[in-house]
Amino acid sequence: MNTVTEQDAYLAAVRAALADLDPAVRDELLEDLPQHLAEVAAEGGSLTDRLGPPEAYAAELRAAVGVPRATGARGLDERVAGTVRAVRARLGVADRRLGPVIGYGRASEFLRLLRPAWWVLRGYLVAMAVTVVTTTEFGLLPRLGGSTIAAVLLLAVCVPASVWLGRRERSFPAWPRRAVAAGGLVLVVFGLAGFVDADRRGNYLDNTQSVSVDPYHYIEDVYVYDENGQLVTGATLYDQDGNPIRLGDLYRCSDAYRTGHDGTSVRDAVRGLDVEPAGYPYCPQFAPYQIAPRPGVRPTLAPAPTTVPAQPTATPDPAVPSPTAEPTVTPVPTPSGAAAPSPTG
Amino acid sequence: MDTTQLLKGVLDLAVLAVLKDEDGYGYDILRRLRAAGLDEVGDASVYGTLRRLFQAGFLNSYVVPSEEGPHRKYYGLNAAGRDQLHRAGKTWRGFASTMDALLDERGVAA
Repeated sequence: MNTVTEQDAYLAAVRAALADLDPAVRDELLEDLPQHLAEVAAEGGSLTDRLGPPEAYAAELRAAVGVPRATGARGLDERVAGTVRAVRARLGVADRRLGPVIGYGRASEFLRLLRPAWWVLRGYLVAMAVTVVTTTEFGLLPRLGGSTIAAVLLLAVCVPASVWLGRRERSFPAWPRRAVAAGGLVLVVFGLAGFVDADRRGNYLDNTQSVSVDPYHYIEDVYVYDENGQLVTGATLYDQDGNPIRLGDLYRCSDAYRTGHDGTSVRDAVRGLDVEPAGYPYCPQFAPYQIAPRPGVRPTLAPAPTTVPAQPTATPDPAVPSPTAEPTVTPVPTPSGAAAPSPTG
Repeated sequence: MDTTQLLKGVLDLAVLAVLKDEDGYGYDILRRLRAAGLDEVGDASVYGTLRRLFQAGFLNSYVVPSEEGPHRKYYGLNAAGRDQLHRAGKTWRGFASTMDALLDERGVAA
């Protein structure tokens, strides 16, 4: 009778020591115990003397079976704590493994050295956050209200404040320290988002700049030459949609008219241009070629004769005011290739 | 050297070995191990090991009613258990001979 109660008490104590296990697992583990206790008791002596205290027996049983300390019967906070412990263990392993790769005993040693850099960055990010909240612009400098001086002053306050905080936060109680850490995390997210945004905007600006660079910005006038190298006047250019292409400076020759043409008044010249440009070129008198060099013609021959026949044709006109003057002028448009050398030679 | 530390590593093998020729129940197996010289093996360790080997699929078990008390749960080796005994035995012998050779080379007294 006495022995039965001792066995029951021992069994109950072992069961209690395994209370954290899943009931099914625990019952399996204890399945053989009543029989065993009966055998041991039959040989005499107290169970505790023979087997040790019930808690020790439970611990030994647990270790021998290899049951993890707990299963489904755990509370949520215990499971969270278990996960945190597991993550910490993993991080510890990664810390030790990574350290030698970057030349330190542990990776955390290196990160600890970087801590002041983080303080500076944090101060900068706080300044940026203040700027963004007030002006919603994320550039490289925290220009509060668009002012560079404000940016410098803001940095001069925020960065040292962050460093000051960094040197003291370790002595803070747990909650303020956690708040600082959480704030740091928020700042990192904010900073990443801001940098991505600023980077995209920077690229966009670059693109618009390159697009807005006009490859024809240096053009002041357009000279069109026909297939014979003759200057075409009053030409108009259109794009594929039928819109006129306006290149050059419409008023380029308002000065030229003023100085060059004695007879025409400035007002007339300007008025004439103001009404509607007749077409390209705006300044026919500044044509780069009288007869343009063409791909088919050798450049050594073409430039020399082109300038020469243009003037002779002009001079014979007033010199010989005979009625045959008109017909003699007509051959002039054809002094390409073969016709040009003949007057000189 | 604390033999309980060594036992932890080889208790599986020891339990498999004492079940090789004859099935047995928990206390019976414990007695066989002690009789073989493993005095320090703990009761709970043997029961825990039996439970683990059973879960691993190396043992079969059956219950035999007993006249003088609670019924007894017998354990015996199945095919997987014999295979495991064979492999673990080889591993142990290799390990033991390596250790012996290591100690012999340095003249450590047996």
